[in-house]
Amino acid sequence: MEKCIIEIQNLTKYYGKIKGVEDLSLKLYEGEIFGFIGPNGAGKSTTIRSIMNLINKTSGKVFIEGKEFVKDDIKIKEKIGYLPSEIYLYNDLTVKEMLDYHESFYKKDIHKKRIELVTRFKLDETKKIEDLSLGNLKKLGIILAFVHDPKILILDEPTSGLDPIMQNVFYDLLKEEKAKGKTIFYSTHILSEVSKICDRVGIIKDGKLIKVESMEDLTKKNLTFVTLTSEQLEKIKKDLNVNIISENKNTIKFRNNLTSDELIKKISKYNIDKILIEEFTLEEMFLHYYK
Amino acid sequence: MFKREMKINLKNFIIWTSILIGLFLIVFLIYPSIINSQNFELIDEMMKMFPKEILKAFNMDISSINSVFGWLKTEGFVFLLLITGIYSALLGSNILLKEESDKTIEYLNSVPVTRNNILLNKILCGLLYIILMVLIVGIFNFIGLSLSGNFDTKLYILLSITPIFSSIVTFALCLFLSTFTHKTKKTFGISLGIVFVSYFFNVLSELSNSTKFLKYLSIFSLADIRNVITNVAINPLLVALSLFITMILLFFTFIHYNKKELV
Repeated sequence: MEKCIIEIQNLTKYYGKIKGVEDLSLKLYEGEIFGFIGPNGAGKSTTIRSIMNLINKTSGKVFIEGKEFVKDDIKIKEKIGYLPSEIYLYNDLTVKEMLDYHESFYKKDIHKKRIELVTRFKLDETKKIEDLSLGNLKKLGIILAFVHDPKILILDEPTSGLDPIMQNVFYDLLKEEKAKGKTIFYSTHILSEVSKICDRVGIIKDGKLIKVESMEDLTKKNLTFVTLTSEQLEKIKKDLNVNIISENKNTIKFRNNLTSDELIKKISKYNIDKILIEEFTLEEMFLHYYK
Repeated sequence: MFKREMKINLKNFIIWTSILIGLFLIVFLIYPSIINSQNFELIDEMMKMFPKEILKAFNMDISSINSVFGWLKTEGFVFLLLITGIYSALLGSNILLKEESDKTIEYLNSVPVTRNNILLNKILCGLLYIILMVLIVGIFNFIGLSLSGNFDTKLYILLSITPIFSSIVTFALCLFLSTFTHKTKKTFGISLGIVFVSYFFNVLSELSNSTKFLKYLSIFSLADIRNVITNVAINPLLVALSLFITMILLFFTFIHYNKKELV
Protein backbone atom coordinates (compact mmCIF):
# COMPACT_ATOMS: atom_id res chain seq x y z
CA MET A 1 0.00 0.00 0.00
CA GLU A 2 1.40 3.37 -1.00
CA LYS A 3 2.00 5.77 1.84
CA CYS A 4 0.01 8.99 1.67
CA ILE A 5 2.29 11.97 2.30
CA ILE A 6 0.08 14.96 1.52
CA GLU A 7 -3.66 14.88 1.87
CA ILE A 8 -5.79 17.88 1.01
CA GLN A 9 -9.32 17.51 2.32
CA ASN A 10 -12.14 19.61 0.88
CA LEU A 11 -10.02 22.72 0.54
CA THR A 12 -12.07 25.83 -0.13
CA LYS A 13 -10.79 29.36 -0.32
CA TYR A 14 -12.89 32.39 -1.09
CA TYR A 15 -11.48 35.90 -1.35
CA GLY A 16 -14.58 37.70 -0.15
CA LYS A 17 -17.14 36.53 -2.69
CA ILE A 18 -14.57 35.55 -5.27
CA LYS A 19 -13.83 31.86 -5.50
CA GLY A 20 -10.17 30.85 -5.32
CA VAL A 21 -10.50 27.09 -4.82
CA GLU A 22 -13.58 25.04 -4.06
CA ASP A 23 -13.84 21.67 -2.38
CA LEU A 24 -10.47 20.44 -3.59
CA SER A 25 -9.46 17.04 -2.30
CA LEU A 26 -6.27 15.32 -3.28
CA LYS A 27 -3.81 12.73 -2.06
CA LEU A 28 -0.12 12.61 -2.91
CA TYR A 29 1.86 9.46 -2.28
CA GLU A 30 5.43 8.77 -1.29
CA GLY A 31 7.92 8.93 -4.13
CA GLU A 32 5.63 10.45 -6.73
CA ILE A 33 5.84 13.58 -8.79
CA PHE A 34 2.39 15.06 -9.05
CA GLY A 35 1.84 17.55 -11.85
CA PHE A 36 -0.65 20.26 -11.02
CA ILE A 37 -1.76 21.99 -14.17
CA GLY A 38 -4.14 24.73 -15.06
CA PRO A 39 -4.12 28.15 -16.71
CA ASN A 40 -3.60 31.46 -14.94
CA GLY A 41 -6.26 32.15 -12.34
CA ALA A 42 -7.40 28.53 -12.13
CA GLY A 43 -6.44 28.30 -8.45
CA LYS A 44 -2.98 26.69 -8.52
CA SER A 45 -1.24 29.35 -6.44
CA THR A 46 -4.21 29.62 -4.08
CA THR A 47 -3.96 25.87 -3.47
CA ILE A 48 -0.21 26.07 -2.84
CA ARG A 49 -0.51 29.13 -0.60
CA SER A 50 -3.24 27.39 1.38
CA ILE A 51 -1.04 24.33 1.83
CA MET A 52 1.80 26.58 3.01
CA ASN A 53 -0.55 28.47 5.37
CA LEU A 54 0.31 31.79 3.76
CA ILE A 55 -3.40 32.41 3.38
CA ASN A 56 -6.26 31.28 5.60
CA LYS A 57 -8.43 28.47 4.28
CA THR A 58 -12.16 29.21 4.17
CA SER A 59 -12.61 25.54 4.96
CA GLY A 60 -10.78 22.26 4.57
CA LYS A 61 -7.62 20.75 5.95
CA VAL A 62 -4.16 19.73 4.82
CA PHE A 63 -2.47 16.71 6.34
CA ILE A 64 1.22 15.91 6.08
CA GLU A 65 1.95 12.26 6.83
CA GLY A 66 -1.38 12.03 8.63
CA LYS A 67 -0.82 15.08 10.82
CA GLU A 68 -2.78 18.26 10.18
CA PHE A 69 -0.48 20.98 8.88
CA VAL A 70 -1.40 24.05 10.84
CA LYS A 71 0.53 27.31 10.96
CA ASP A 72 3.86 27.23 12.72
CA ASP A 73 4.26 23.47 12.88
CA ILE A 74 8.05 23.58 12.85
CA LYS A 75 8.48 19.82 12.49
CA ILE A 76 6.33 19.75 9.35
CA LYS A 77 8.01 22.87 7.97
CA GLU A 78 11.37 21.13 8.28
CA LYS A 79 10.07 18.40 6.00
CA ILE A 80 9.00 20.80 3.25
CA GLY A 81 11.02 22.49 0.55
CA TYR A 82 9.07 25.30 -1.09
CA LEU A 83 9.80 27.13 -4.29
CA PRO A 84 7.36 29.94 -5.10
CA SER A 85 6.71 30.93 -8.70
CA GLU A 86 8.14 34.40 -8.16
CA ILE A 87 11.12 34.51 -5.85
CA TYR A 88 11.61 37.47 -3.57
CA LEU A 89 14.71 37.36 -1.38
CA TYR A 90 16.71 39.90 0.57
CA ASN A 91 18.29 42.21 -1.99
CA ASP A 92 20.85 43.57 0.46
CA LEU A 93 22.45 40.14 0.86
CA THR A 94 24.91 38.26 -1.32
CA VAL A 95 24.10 34.70 -2.39
CA LYS A 96 26.55 33.46 0.26
CA GLU A 97 24.92 35.53 3.01
CA MET A 98 21.47 34.36 1.93
CA LEU A 99 22.54 30.72 2.05
CA ASP A 100 24.22 31.28 5.45
CA TYR A 101 21.01 32.85 6.71
CA HIS A 102 19.01 29.92 5.34
CA GLU A 103 21.35 27.44 7.02
CA SER A 104 20.80 29.18 10.37
CA PHE A 105 17.15 28.06 10.39
CA TYR A 106 18.02 24.36 10.33
CA LYS A 107 19.37 22.32 13.20
CA LYS A 108 21.01 19.73 10.98
CA ASP A 109 24.16 20.39 9.00
CA ILE A 110 23.16 21.20 5.43
CA HIS A 111 26.40 22.78 4.35
CA LYS A 112 27.64 19.80 2.35
CA LYS A 113 24.45 19.65 0.29
CA ARG A 114 24.68 23.42 -0.21
CA ILE A 115 28.15 23.15 -1.73
CA GLU A 116 26.98 20.31 -3.96
CA LEU A 117 23.95 22.24 -5.24
CA VAL A 118 25.80 25.52 -5.73
CA THR A 119 28.40 23.69 -7.79
CA ARG A 120 25.77 21.78 -9.73
CA PHE A 121 23.80 24.90 -10.64
CA LYS A 122 26.97 26.94 -11.23
CA LEU A 123 25.86 29.78 -8.97
CA ASP A 124 28.28 32.55 -8.01
CA GLU A 125 28.03 32.98 -4.23
CA THR A 126 29.75 36.35 -4.26
CA LYS A 127 26.99 38.05 -6.27
CA LYS A 128 24.45 40.30 -4.62
CA ILE A 129 20.88 39.07 -4.86
CA GLU A 130 19.71 42.34 -6.40
CA ASP A 131 22.19 41.77 -9.24
CA LEU A 132 21.02 38.24 -10.05
CA SER A 133 19.28 37.58 -13.35
CA LEU A 134 15.87 35.90 -13.29
CA GLY A 135 17.47 32.55 -14.12
CA ASN A 136 20.10 32.82 -11.40
CA LEU A 137 17.47 33.90 -8.89
CA LYS A 138 15.49 30.80 -9.83
CA LYS A 139 18.59 28.66 -9.33
CA LEU A 140 19.03 30.15 -5.86
CA GLY A 141 15.36 29.48 -5.13
CA ILE A 142 15.80 25.86 -6.19
CA ILE A 143 18.86 25.48 -3.95
CA LEU A 144 16.96 26.99 -0.99
CA ALA A 145 14.10 24.55 -1.56
CA PHE A 146 16.29 21.46 -1.90
CA VAL A 147 19.25 22.16 0.38
CA HIS A 148 17.81 20.84 3.64
CA ASP A 149 16.95 17.53 1.99
CA PRO A 150 13.20 17.84 2.56
CA LYS A 151 10.87 14.87 2.27
CA ILE A 152 8.28 16.95 0.45
CA LEU A 153 8.88 19.46 -2.31
CA ILE A 154 6.28 22.00 -3.31
CA LEU A 155 7.40 23.63 -6.52
CA ASP A 156 5.51 26.39 -8.31
CA GLU A 157 6.66 26.93 -11.90
CA PRO A 158 10.20 25.78 -11.06
CA THR A 159 11.71 25.95 -14.54
CA SER A 160 10.47 29.37 -15.65
CA GLY A 161 13.52 31.49 -16.32
CA LEU A 162 15.95 28.56 -16.46
CA ASP A 163 17.92 28.00 -19.65
CA PRO A 164 17.57 24.55 -21.33
CA ILE A 165 20.89 23.32 -19.89
CA MET A 166 19.87 24.24 -16.34
CA GLN A 167 16.41 22.79 -16.96
CA ASN A 168 18.06 19.45 -17.64
CA VAL A 169 20.23 19.79 -14.52
CA PHE A 170 17.00 20.44 -12.62
CA TYR A 171 15.16 17.47 -14.17
CA ASP A 172 18.08 15.21 -13.23
CA LEU A 173 17.92 16.52 -9.66
CA LEU A 174 14.17 15.82 -9.58
CA LYS A 175 14.71 12.26 -10.75
CA GLU A 176 17.31 11.71 -8.02
CA GLU A 177 15.02 13.12 -5.36
CA LYS A 178 12.14 10.99 -6.59
CA ALA A 179 14.39 7.92 -6.45
CA LYS A 180 15.10 8.77 -2.81
CA GLY A 181 11.35 8.59 -2.13
CA LYS A 182 10.63 12.30 -2.05
CA THR A 183 7.11 13.46 -2.81
CA ILE A 184 6.94 16.33 -5.25
CA PHE A 185 4.01 18.63 -5.89
CA TYR A 186 4.80 20.22 -9.23
CA SER A 187 2.69 23.11 -10.41
CA THR A 188 3.30 24.21 -13.96
CA HIS A 189 1.97 25.66 -17.19
CA ILE A 190 4.46 23.77 -19.30
CA LEU A 191 2.67 20.63 -20.34
CA SER A 192 5.63 19.03 -22.06
CA GLU A 193 7.50 18.80 -18.76
CA VAL A 194 4.50 17.20 -17.09
CA SER A 195 4.57 14.34 -19.58
CA LYS A 196 8.34 14.12 -19.18
CA ILE A 197 8.61 13.97 -15.39
CA CYS A 198 5.26 13.49 -13.66
CA ASP A 199 3.70 10.25 -12.46
CA ARG A 200 0.24 11.68 -12.03
CA VAL A 201 -1.43 14.84 -13.09
CA GLY A 202 -4.25 16.91 -11.64
CA ILE A 203 -6.07 19.45 -13.77
CA ILE A 204 -7.60 22.43 -12.07
CA LYS A 205 -10.25 24.58 -13.70
CA ASP A 206 -12.05 27.56 -12.17
CA GLY A 207 -10.94 26.54 -8.69
CA LYS A 208 -12.09 22.95 -9.04
CA LEU A 209 -9.96 19.89 -9.52
CA ILE A 210 -11.61 18.39 -12.58
CA LYS A 211 -9.35 15.43 -13.26
CA VAL A 212 -6.67 13.43 -11.50
CA GLU A 213 -5.07 10.73 -13.55
CA SER A 214 -1.82 8.86 -13.82
CA MET A 215 0.30 9.71 -16.83
CA GLU A 216 0.15 6.03 -17.73
CA ASP A 217 -3.67 6.00 -17.77
CA LEU A 218 -3.77 9.27 -19.58
CA THR A 219 -1.65 7.91 -22.41
CA LYS A 220 -3.48 4.56 -22.30
CA LYS A 221 -6.77 6.37 -22.66
CA ASN A 222 -6.13 6.57 -26.33
CA LEU A 223 -7.56 9.99 -26.73
CA THR A 224 -7.01 10.31 -30.44
CA PHE A 225 -7.96 12.25 -33.48
CA VAL A 226 -9.29 9.99 -36.24
CA THR A 227 -9.47 11.02 -39.89
CA LEU A 228 -11.64 8.64 -41.83
CA THR A 229 -12.60 8.43 -45.51
CA SER A 230 -15.55 6.20 -46.43
CA GLU A 231 -18.63 6.03 -48.68
CA GLN A 232 -20.66 5.08 -45.60
CA LEU A 233 -19.90 8.17 -43.59
CA GLU A 234 -23.48 8.87 -42.54
CA LYS A 235 -23.88 5.41 -41.02
CA ILE A 236 -20.51 5.64 -39.28
CA LYS A 237 -21.36 9.06 -37.83
CA LYS A 238 -24.65 7.70 -36.47
CA ASP A 239 -23.08 4.57 -35.08
CA LEU A 240 -20.10 6.18 -33.40
CA ASN A 241 -21.93 9.34 -32.35
CA VAL A 242 -18.66 11.19 -32.66
CA ASN A 243 -17.59 14.72 -31.97
CA ILE A 244 -16.74 15.94 -35.47
CA ILE A 245 -13.97 18.50 -35.87
CA SER A 246 -14.05 18.83 -39.64
CA GLU A 247 -15.91 17.30 -42.54
CA ASN A 248 -15.10 17.33 -46.25
CA LYS A 249 -17.03 15.22 -48.80
CA ASN A 250 -16.40 11.63 -47.74
CA THR A 251 -13.81 12.48 -45.10
CA ILE A 252 -14.37 13.37 -41.48
CA LYS A 253 -11.99 14.17 -38.65
CA PHE A 254 -13.28 13.48 -35.16
CA ARG A 255 -12.13 13.42 -31.57
CA ASN A 256 -12.14 9.81 -30.42
CA ASN A 257 -12.20 8.62 -26.86
CA LEU A 258 -12.83 4.96 -27.48
CA THR A 259 -10.07 2.44 -26.93
CA SER A 260 -8.31 1.20 -30.06
CA ASP A 261 -10.02 -2.15 -29.73
CA GLU A 262 -13.49 -0.64 -29.44
CA LEU A 263 -12.87 1.69 -32.34
CA ILE A 264 -11.65 -1.04 -34.66
CA LYS A 265 -14.53 -3.34 -33.75
CA LYS A 266 -17.04 -0.59 -34.45
CA ILE A 267 -15.70 0.57 -37.80
CA SER A 268 -14.88 -2.93 -39.09
CA LYS A 269 -18.52 -3.26 -40.19
CA TYR A 270 -18.01 -0.55 -42.78
CA ASN A 271 -15.96 -0.07 -45.90
CA ILE A 272 -13.13 2.22 -45.00
CA ASP A 273 -11.07 3.80 -47.77
CA LYS A 274 -8.56 5.54 -45.58
CA ILE A 275 -7.92 5.94 -41.89
CA LEU A 276 -5.46 8.06 -39.95
CA ILE A 277 -5.23 7.85 -36.16
CA GLU A 278 -3.26 10.60 -34.39
CA GLU A 279 -2.51 10.69 -30.67
CA PHE A 280 -3.54 13.68 -28.55
CA THR A 281 -0.59 15.68 -27.37
CA LEU A 282 -0.75 16.67 -23.71
CA GLU A 283 -1.65 20.17 -24.83
CA GLU A 284 -4.63 18.86 -26.79
CA MET A 285 -5.62 16.69 -23.85
CA PHE A 286 -5.47 19.71 -21.61
CA LEU A 287 -7.65 21.70 -23.99
CA HIS A 288 -10.01 18.73 -24.23
CA TYR A 289 -10.65 18.92 -20.48
CA TYR A 290 -10.89 22.66 -20.60
CA LYS A 291 -13.59 22.79 -23.28
CA MET B 1 17.42 36.12 12.78
CA PHE B 2 17.80 38.73 15.51
CA LYS B 3 21.30 39.54 14.23
CA ARG B 4 19.92 40.08 10.73
CA GLU B 5 17.14 42.31 12.05
CA MET B 6 19.70 44.42 13.87
CA LYS B 7 21.81 44.64 10.71
CA ILE B 8 19.03 45.74 8.36
CA ASN B 9 17.73 48.36 10.76
CA LEU B 10 21.15 49.72 11.65
CA LYS B 11 21.33 52.23 8.80
CA ASN B 12 18.11 54.02 9.77
CA PHE B 13 19.13 53.95 13.40
CA ILE B 14 22.43 55.65 12.58
CA ILE B 15 20.69 58.29 10.44
CA TRP B 16 18.08 59.20 13.08
CA THR B 17 20.58 59.12 15.95
CA SER B 18 22.93 61.31 13.91
CA ILE B 19 20.12 63.82 13.30
CA LEU B 20 19.57 64.11 17.04
CA ILE B 21 23.26 64.23 17.89
CA GLY B 22 23.84 66.78 15.10
CA LEU B 23 21.04 68.96 16.46
CA PHE B 24 22.37 68.86 20.01
CA LEU B 25 25.96 69.31 18.82
CA ILE B 26 24.99 72.55 17.08
CA VAL B 27 23.30 73.73 20.28
CA PHE B 28 26.37 72.87 22.39
CA LEU B 29 28.59 74.72 19.91
CA ILE B 30 26.53 77.89 19.51
CA TYR B 31 24.92 78.22 22.94
CA PRO B 32 27.97 79.50 24.81
CA SER B 33 28.20 82.45 22.40
CA ILE B 34 24.47 83.20 22.87
CA ILE B 35 24.80 83.09 26.66
CA ASN B 36 27.77 85.42 26.56
CA SER B 37 26.25 87.89 24.16
CA GLN B 38 24.49 91.02 25.27
CA ASN B 39 21.43 90.06 23.27
CA PHE B 40 20.62 87.15 25.49
CA GLU B 41 18.85 89.19 28.12
CA LEU B 42 16.75 90.69 25.37
CA ILE B 43 15.83 87.21 24.16
CA ASP B 44 14.84 86.21 27.69
CA GLU B 45 12.75 89.38 28.02
CA MET B 46 11.17 88.71 24.64
CA MET B 47 10.26 85.19 25.72
CA LYS B 48 8.34 86.65 28.63
CA MET B 49 6.20 88.54 26.15
CA PHE B 50 4.88 85.27 24.67
CA PRO B 51 1.48 84.06 25.86
CA LYS B 52 1.68 81.92 28.97
CA GLU B 53 0.18 78.95 27.10
CA ILE B 54 2.91 78.99 24.47
CA LEU B 55 5.61 79.16 27.10
CA LYS B 56 3.89 76.27 28.87
CA ALA B 57 3.91 74.20 25.71
CA PHE B 58 7.69 74.43 25.62
CA ASN B 59 8.09 74.29 29.42
CA MET B 60 9.48 77.84 29.30
CA ASP B 61 7.28 78.90 32.19
CA ILE B 62 9.15 76.59 34.56
CA SER B 63 12.59 76.83 33.06
CA SER B 64 14.74 79.57 31.58
CA ILE B 65 16.76 79.16 28.42
CA ASN B 66 19.71 80.98 29.95
CA SER B 67 21.85 77.80 29.88
CA VAL B 68 22.25 74.74 27.66
CA PHE B 69 20.51 72.64 30.29
CA GLY B 70 17.75 75.23 30.40
CA TRP B 71 17.35 74.95 26.64
CA LEU B 72 17.31 71.15 26.89
CA LYS B 73 14.57 71.27 29.52
CA THR B 74 12.49 73.48 27.27
CA GLU B 75 12.88 72.97 23.53
CA GLY B 76 15.57 70.28 23.63
CA PHE B 77 13.46 67.57 25.16
CA VAL B 78 10.48 68.51 23.00
CA PHE B 79 12.65 67.84 19.92
CA LEU B 80 13.97 64.67 21.49
CA LEU B 81 10.42 63.46 22.19
CA LEU B 82 9.27 64.29 18.69
CA ILE B 83 12.23 62.78 16.87
CA THR B 84 12.36 59.58 18.94
CA GLY B 85 8.58 59.43 18.47
CA ILE B 86 8.87 59.73 14.68
CA TYR B 87 11.69 57.16 14.62
CA SER B 88 9.67 54.74 16.77
CA ALA B 89 6.57 55.21 14.63
CA LEU B 90 8.44 54.54 11.39
CA LEU B 91 10.28 51.59 12.91
CA GLY B 92 7.05 50.10 14.26
CA SER B 93 5.20 50.47 10.99
CA ASN B 94 8.06 49.12 8.89
CA ILE B 95 9.91 46.45 10.83
CA LEU B 96 7.34 43.68 10.39
CA LEU B 97 5.49 44.91 7.35
CA LYS B 98 8.64 45.20 5.23
CA GLU B 99 8.68 41.41 4.85
CA GLU B 100 5.23 41.54 3.30
CA SER B 101 5.82 44.70 1.32
CA ASP B 102 9.02 43.24 -0.17
CA LYS B 103 7.29 39.84 -0.49
CA THR B 104 10.15 38.11 1.36
CA ILE B 105 7.55 36.77 3.81
CA GLU B 106 6.86 33.91 1.37
CA TYR B 107 10.44 32.77 1.94
CA LEU B 108 10.43 33.40 5.68
CA ASN B 109 7.16 31.54 6.11
CA SER B 110 8.61 28.47 4.38
CA VAL B 111 11.53 28.00 6.77
CA PRO B 112 11.08 26.34 10.16
CA VAL B 113 10.30 29.41 12.20
CA THR B 114 7.04 30.38 13.86
CA ARG B 115 5.21 33.65 13.31
CA ASN B 116 5.57 34.36 17.02
CA ASN B 117 9.31 33.93 16.68
CA ILE B 118 9.46 36.30 13.69
CA LEU B 119 7.45 38.87 15.61
CA LEU B 120 9.41 38.47 18.82
CA ASN B 121 12.74 39.03 17.07
CA LYS B 122 11.43 42.15 15.38
CA ILE B 123 9.93 43.54 18.58
CA LEU B 124 13.14 42.96 20.53
CA CYS B 125 15.18 44.59 17.78
CA GLY B 126 12.83 47.60 17.65
CA LEU B 127 12.76 48.11 21.40
CA LEU B 128 16.51 47.72 21.65
CA TYR B 129 17.12 50.37 18.98
CA ILE B 130 14.70 52.81 20.66
CA ILE B 131 16.41 52.34 24.04
CA LEU B 132 19.85 52.55 22.41
CA MET B 133 18.91 55.80 20.67
CA VAL B 134 17.73 57.38 23.91
CA LEU B 135 20.84 56.10 25.70
CA ILE B 136 23.34 57.27 23.08
CA VAL B 137 21.73 60.71 22.78
CA GLY B 138 21.52 60.83 26.58
CA ILE B 139 25.23 60.04 26.99
CA PHE B 140 26.17 62.53 24.26
CA ASN B 141 24.17 65.29 25.93
CA PHE B 142 25.58 64.34 29.33
CA ILE B 143 29.09 64.81 28.01
CA GLY B 144 28.07 68.06 26.31
CA LEU B 145 26.43 69.40 29.47
CA SER B 146 29.42 68.39 31.61
CA LEU B 147 31.67 70.45 29.34
CA SER B 148 29.25 73.40 29.39
CA GLY B 149 28.96 73.87 33.15
CA ASN B 150 26.95 72.71 36.13
CA PHE B 151 23.61 70.95 35.87
CA ASP B 152 21.31 68.79 37.98
CA THR B 153 22.53 65.28 37.15
CA LYS B 154 19.55 63.47 38.64
CA LEU B 155 17.06 65.67 36.84
CA TYR B 156 18.99 65.25 33.61
CA ILE B 157 19.04 61.43 33.85
CA LEU B 158 15.32 61.29 34.61
CA LEU B 159 14.54 63.64 31.73
CA SER B 160 16.75 61.62 29.38
CA ILE B 161 14.94 58.37 29.94
CA THR B 162 11.44 59.86 29.80
CA PRO B 163 11.13 59.65 25.96
CA ILE B 164 11.45 55.87 26.21
CA PHE B 165 7.91 55.59 27.60
CA SER B 166 6.12 57.48 24.85
CA SER B 167 8.39 55.92 22.19
CA ILE B 168 7.72 52.29 23.10
CA VAL B 169 3.97 52.93 23.08
CA THR B 170 4.27 54.64 19.68
CA PHE B 171 6.32 51.70 18.40
CA ALA B 172 3.81 49.14 19.70
CA LEU B 173 0.84 51.06 18.33
CA CYS B 174 2.35 51.41 14.84
CA LEU B 175 3.44 47.76 14.87
CA PHE B 176 -0.10 46.73 15.76
CA LEU B 177 -1.59 48.90 13.01
CA SER B 178 0.87 47.44 10.50
CA THR B 179 -0.74 44.02 10.94
CA PHE B 180 -3.86 45.34 9.18
CA THR B 181 -2.24 45.96 5.82
CA HIS B 182 0.33 44.54 3.40
CA LYS B 183 2.00 47.70 2.12
CA THR B 184 4.35 49.95 4.08
CA LYS B 185 3.26 52.93 1.97
CA LYS B 186 -0.14 52.85 3.64
CA THR B 187 1.22 52.88 7.17
CA PHE B 188 3.89 55.60 6.81
CA GLY B 189 1.41 58.48 6.68
CA ILE B 190 -0.70 57.05 9.47
CA SER B 191 2.34 56.54 11.70
CA LEU B 192 3.62 60.07 11.21
CA GLY B 193 0.06 61.34 11.66
CA ILE B 194 -0.18 59.58 15.02
CA VAL B 195 3.01 61.28 16.23
CA PHE B 196 2.11 64.78 15.07
CA VAL B 197 -1.56 64.65 16.07
CA SER B 198 -0.51 63.21 19.41
CA TYR B 199 1.98 66.00 19.94
CA PHE B 200 -0.56 68.59 18.83
CA PHE B 201 -3.13 67.22 21.28
CA ASN B 202 -0.52 67.34 24.02
CA VAL B 203 0.20 71.01 23.32
CA LEU B 204 -3.51 71.86 23.03
CA SER B 205 -4.26 70.10 26.30
CA GLU B 206 -2.00 72.58 28.09
CA LEU B 207 -3.71 75.64 26.61
CA SER B 208 -7.00 75.69 28.45
CA ASN B 209 -9.25 73.70 30.72
CA SER B 210 -11.68 72.95 27.93
CA THR B 211 -8.95 71.20 25.91
CA LYS B 212 -7.41 69.44 28.89
CA PHE B 213 -9.15 66.16 27.97
CA LEU B 214 -6.97 65.93 24.84
CA LYS B 215 -4.06 64.79 26.97
CA TYR B 216 -5.83 61.45 27.35
CA LEU B 217 -5.61 61.06 23.57
CA SER B 218 -1.92 61.88 23.36
CA ILE B 219 0.89 59.38 23.62
CA PHE B 220 3.18 62.20 24.71
CA SER B 221 1.23 62.57 27.94
CA LEU B 222 3.03 59.38 28.97
CA ALA B 223 6.34 61.26 28.83
CA ASP B 224 5.40 63.97 31.26
CA ILE B 225 8.48 66.19 31.09
CA ARG B 226 6.79 69.00 33.07
CA ASN B 227 6.24 66.71 36.01
CA VAL B 228 9.87 65.50 35.86
CA ILE B 229 11.16 69.09 35.82
CA THR B 230 8.96 70.29 38.67
CA ASN B 231 9.14 67.21 40.93
CA VAL B 232 12.50 65.73 39.86
CA ALA B 233 10.79 62.37 39.67
CA ILE B 234 9.12 60.18 37.07
CA ASN B 235 5.48 59.49 37.81
CA PRO B 236 5.42 55.72 38.44
CA LEU B 237 1.81 55.60 37.33
CA LEU B 238 2.78 56.82 33.88
CA VAL B 239 5.61 54.28 33.69
CA ALA B 240 3.21 51.49 34.63
CA LEU B 241 0.62 52.82 32.18
CA SER B 242 3.17 52.96 29.34
CA LEU B 243 4.29 49.41 30.00
CA PHE B 244 0.70 48.22 30.33
CA ILE B 245 -0.41 49.85 27.06
CA THR B 246 2.68 48.50 25.30
CA MET B 247 2.02 44.98 26.58
CA ILE B 248 -1.64 45.11 25.57
CA LEU B 249 -0.78 46.40 22.08
CA LEU B 250 1.92 43.76 21.63
CA PHE B 251 -0.45 41.06 22.86
CA PHE B 252 -3.03 42.04 20.23
CA THR B 253 -0.27 42.31 17.63
CA PHE B 254 0.65 38.66 18.30
CA ILE B 255 -3.01 37.62 18.13
CA HIS B 256 -3.73 39.49 14.92
CA TYR B 257 -0.47 38.61 13.18
CA ASN B 258 -1.11 34.92 13.74
CA LYS B 259 -4.45 35.23 11.96
CA LYS B 260 -3.16 37.42 9.17
CA GLU B 261 -2.96 36.36 5.54
CA LEU B 262 0.63 37.04 4.61
CA VAL B 263 0.22 37.48 0.85
